[in-house]
Amino acid sequence: MSSAGSVARPGLGTHAKHAMLLVGFSGLLFFVTRAVPDMHGGLWTIAAIGFLLLAGTLTSELLGPLGLPHLTGYLIAGIASGPFLLRLVDEHTVKSLSPINTLALSLIALTGGAELDLGAIRRASRGLAWAMLVQCLLVLVLVTITFMAARSFIPFARDLPLAPLFGVALLWGALAVTRSPAATLGILSQTRASGPLATFTLAFVMVSDVVVVILLAAVFACVRPLLDPAASFSFDSFATLGHDLFGSVALGTTMGLIIAAYLRLVNRQMLVVLLVLGFGASTVLDYLQFDSLLTFMVAGFIVRNMSKQGHKLVKYIEQTGTVVYVVFFATAGADLDLPLLRQLWPVALLLAGSRALITYVGSRAAGRLAGDPPVLRRWAWSGLVSQAGLALGLSVIVAREFPSIGTAFRALAIATVAVNEMVGPILFKLALDRSKETSPIRQPSFPSMPPPPMPG
Amino acid sequence: MNAVLLLVGLLVLSYLGSFLVGGRTVRGAGLPSGVEYVALGFVLGPQALDLVGGDMLASFEPVVQVALGWLAFAVGLDFGYAGDRRARAGNLALATLGALVTGGAVAGATWLVVRQFHVGATVTEQILLAGGVGVACSETTRHAVRWVVDRHSARGPLADQLNEIAHTDDLLPLLAVAVLFSLSPATHIPMRLPLLEWPAITIGLGLLLGAGAALLVRCELKLDETWAVLFGVSLIAIGTTARLGLSTLTASFFAGIAVSLLSKHGKELRAMVAPTERPVLLPALLLAGAHLSFHDNPKLPWIAVTAIVVRFAAKIVVGWILAAASPAARKAGGLVGLSMMSSGALAMSIGLAFALRFPGTLGDTVLVVAALSATVGEFVGPPRLRIALKRAGEMDEAQAAPSSRRVPA
Repeated sequence: MSSAGSVARPGLGTHAKHAMLLVGFSGLLFFVTRAVPDMHGGLWTIAAIGFLLLAGTLTSELLGPLGLPHLTGYLIAGIASGPFLLRLVDEHTVKSLSPINTLALSLIALTGGAELDLGAIRRASRGLAWAMLVQCLLVLVLVTITFMAARSFIPFARDLPLAPLFGVALLWGALAVTRSPAATLGILSQTRASGPLATFTLAFVMVSDVVVVILLAAVFACVRPLLDPAASFSFDSFATLGHDLFGSVALGTTMGLIIAAYLRLVNRQMLVVLLVLGFGASTVLDYLQFDSLLTFMVAGFIVRNMSKQGHKLVKYIEQTGTVVYVVFFATAGADLDLPLLRQLWPVALLLAGSRALITYVGSRAAGRLAGDPPVLRRWAWSGLVSQAGLALGLSVIVAREFPSIGTAFRALAIATVAVNEMVGPILFKLALDRSKETSPIRQPSFPSMPPPPMPG
Repeated sequence: MNAVLLLVGLLVLSYLGSFLVGGRTVRGAGLPSGVEYVALGFVLGPQALDLVGGDMLASFEPVVQVALGWLAFAVGLDFGYAGDRRARAGNLALATLGALVTGGAVAGATWLVVRQFHVGATVTEQILLAGGVGVACSETTRHAVRWVVDRHSARGPLADQLNEIAHTDDLLPLLAVAVLFSLSPATHIPMRLPLLEWPAITIGLGLLLGAGAALLVRCELKLDETWAVLFGVSLIAIGTTARLGLSTLTASFFAGIAVSLLSKHGKELRAMVAPTERPVLLPALLLAGAHLSFHDNPKLPWIAVTAIVVRFAAKIVVGWILAAASPAARKAGGLVGLSMMSSGALAMSIGLAFALRFPGTLGDTVLVVAALSATVGEFVGPPRLRIALKRAGEMDEAQAAPSSRRVPA
């Protein structure tokens, strides 16, 4: 059933069955939402999660023959059932799913860290360093220039004087540097890909999370006087950043050591432990204003590289894989502001397209400078196009820090991220398939069943 | 108490609960009804220490509904089976008859008390109250026999029969809940349907969703996708029935039955879901305890005492019926029915479902009676079960001491 497998692909009958069930479940929810007013918002959230889980799983299976990644199916299921199309999941419900999303993101970050092998990173360090340098600089500079050049198409930037325009463009450039760890891990989880492209992309995307946070603090410090004449250049944001980064790394290390000790000594009911960590630690981190994504990533990294328990952690988290990714991406789809996208799609497409092009150029240049193998020179850019929660989170910070342009900036960010969110995973999966890094082995249906044999 | 702290606390409890289902060293620990967690919930709840306040309980309603629905789904998935074995049809019939006799007797007696003291504003409320108390008192907890058998290493035909009865007496109470809920349709529902159509919709919805899940699981889904399907179907059943004001328990139970019957992976699915039952149950029992309120109904002591005494008597009668039908039960003596006094998970779930669906005197009374009945059952059921098994020759004196205390050879 998984499109990752080259064995036992589901036939037409199975797809017809999936389509019928999808229509059936949607019809049921459509009837209930139209026939009975919702008197208990919280309770409908339960049905919404259930429906997103099923609809996401079924849609991803239906899109399998087209070679589209599961994430795209989850997103489409979310968009279709969201508040702007079928309204099976309303805005209130989407908002009330945010704790579940936080949990999903924590688990995704933990997986990301646990998948990072220090040895593999060391081996690819030259390529990674070049890619990080070139991608960050090139994307920041060229996207900034593109934004300024395209100002006549951007309603809120059209009439800005040069200095504030440069400030906004620089913020846009910093936003463009962000990638999507969730999308990368979602694709890798589905395809079970292994090889230089998978390793490089994962390492780059996870490390760039830290780089982006630093970059954004620097950009904030530079932009503030440009957007607010009363403000002056200040290093305050660096002090806060240092506190955040060191705190997150310290806490992540502690958490990682505790998880490793638990896995070694107890090694039971890890799912419940992960839930406790996801909810409990996220709340503590939120209170301390630390970066939860970084903390969980460091924790996973420590378990993987400072103990022998990494494979156990990855195995446990993989068991929750579909549930976590479906909920995260289907909710992201349902949260997608379609009217806004309809309004801003030309400029969003322009900005997303130019970012993808710059990423491609940067990747080719970095590959050449680092002497990367051909597969990386050709495809390394493909995993760097996706954007999702991190970019949206940063746009919220920008909106909060710079209220004068905040709302309009965020709207444009949402529209552009939507484009990247849809296109990025497709490109990355295509690249993994073409570079033959996608695993041909299908995961067993039940623990008692062995995986099907390798072809040949 | 902070809501996240409570959630983490519940998860920790769930974690501890998970240890009670696995491993011989801890099997048989705790009480079969889990009533100690109800007591803990009561102590933490708004009626005692108020660490878990009323507002927080209200905000946790979705969590409670999910827990109840998942438990009912697990019960449905396991319905008709005692362990790995399919229960015999005769025992299924005896279990259903036993639930009917016990629940009917308790409901009838409660009805008389309710009418006598004019509890409830309308006749419908009085029927709901009497019916709810009857339904909550009708079951024997599935953990009771296993608890004694595991703790005392008892084996034999009577132990098997009682185990099968305890595993198969859930059908009638859950059907009755669906009927009772339909007596008072939620006020926000614009549709008006004949009385029996609501229960039919509840059951139909459960079966339909379960059949859908079974169809999906029949395909070669990956393990984590199977979890997604089971969670998804269960959550849709819970959410839609809650929105329609129907019985979440009944719909989830029938969804579980449909999955078990129609999926070719029934055994694997039962093995997958069974370990989740206890971890979900303990937080649910704790929240049920926190919902307990003794102040709303001044006639509560009368209702509770009547229900418990009549339940006691009805179980004796059920024992006679059992003895008439089974030679193994005959050997255990005339009071064998009292060995089925333990109630717990399902009774508390029904009580909690009533408390959530009919907040106030009605729901609170059903929940309190369910909790008190489980507490009394705890004092009577396991000791009587030990006596019955000893008389039937399935547990000797040496085994009467808990097996966990014996020094290994």
